[in-house]
Amino acid sequence: MSTPKNNRILVRDVMMTPDQFPIIKKTILFKEALEEMGNYGLGTVCIVDNNNKLCGILTDGDIRRKLLKVQKPFSAFFVDDASLHSITEPICCKASDLLYNAVTIMGEKNVWDLPVVNKDQKLLGLLHLHPAIKILLER
Amino acid sequence: MENQINKSFMIGYGNVNQVKIGYKLPLVFFGGPCAIESREHAFKMADEIGSICKRVDIPWVFKSCYDKDCRSSPTSFHGLGVDHGLKILSDIRNEFGAPVVSDFSDPSWAPATGEVCDLVQVPAYLCRQTSILRAAAETKRPIHLKKGQFMSPWNMKNSVRKLEAFGCDKVILTDRGTFFGYNMLVNDPRCLPIMAETGYPVCYDATHSVQLPTSMGNISGGERNFIPYLVRSATASGIQALFMEVHDNPSEALSDANTVLDIQYLENILYQAKAIHEKRLEILEKLGEDNVHPEK
Repeated sequence: MSTPKNNRILVRDVMMTPDQFPIIKKTILFKEALEEMGNYGLGTVCIVDNNNKLCGILTDGDIRRKLLKVQKPFSAFFVDDASLHSITEPICCKASDLLYNAVTIMGEKNVWDLPVVNKDQKLLGLLHLHPAIKILLER
Repeated sequence: MENQINKSFMIGYGNVNQVKIGYKLPLVFFGGPCAIESREHAFKMADEIGSICKRVDIPWVFKSCYDKDCRSSPTSFHGLGVDHGLKILSDIRNEFGAPVVSDFSDPSWAPATGEVCDLVQVPAYLCRQTSILRAAAETKRPIHLKKGQFMSPWNMKNSVRKLEAFGCDKVILTDRGTFFGYNMLVNDPRCLPIMAETGYPVCYDATHSVQLPTSMGNISGGERNFIPYLVRSATASGIQALFMEVHDNPSEALSDANTVLDIQYLENILYQAKAIHEKRLEILEKLGEDNVHPEK
């Protein structure tokens, strides 16, 4: 896969922009987060503070694991803050990273999505595995 | 959980003895007759309760309501009304230097209630009504939000969010029992740490919790003999305030006669509550937090 051509593709060339994936505030309820993920058809939602700084992500996998652990009633689980159940230090990448390197990390860590942040940890986008692989295969 | 309470604040404006409420602070008592029955009676009760609180050395907020809008019968005592009742509360503030709390059942009564009261109470039956919560928040006073008997403790977060959306950041959440079938309440101490997850102080209403709602046909009954047991239980569970309605002659009380606490027992119960609270704080200080992780 590593060719001179696809080694020039950067994360910013493929990443989803903030209007294309779910982003929620820290105080959004768990149930609202699920709805937001459903609205975008994505298995990841990014959680940001009021300054758009990434505070965590919540993924289908996290939710699956939580369902097996949380013992409280569903109605109580639904009104938890989504951030309570999130991964607070997710693996991220930079917009200027090589796409090839970012996809390699996704493979190593077995994740489908990488939030894209700047040096101040502000959320710029989301790198989703499917379009990333597609473009690497095409070029 | 209780250690998630991260908000503390003062109750009281002007020249009253301000009361601070929050995690690991002294237990606060909200107490008085359910309804303002007359100026003389309200003053007598404030005088006697104030003396007891002084002896026990517990911070106190005088509670009494000017309008009892949720009575079961149209012939039951409804109260003295907004103007008359608030004038009495205002005079009690000035006379005894105690902050006062009263509820309101109609949004249009909120401004006047907030004008006088140091703490504005949202009735349990109305705890999710947006117009009531907006009106309460707009008073800019701390809000005493009672958990509806029909509400789960975790769903009280929605009411808290409404208050916050309307600009309120000083809330006390109170458990007063939960419906268990018809005409019966059950007291679940889990309500207290669950409501504390909102970050706000929690309170336990020990007299309404023994109520048997409308069990007497057109009035509510109650098992007041359980009050001391529930007080000890809640205080040991962890609360920041204790609420009890008190009367000098319960059988003649014009409101909630079957649940109000006879004032002859008040000193004993407050003394126990304070001692248990202080012992808990002492143990917390010595051994640290005892919160068990829900998933580990």
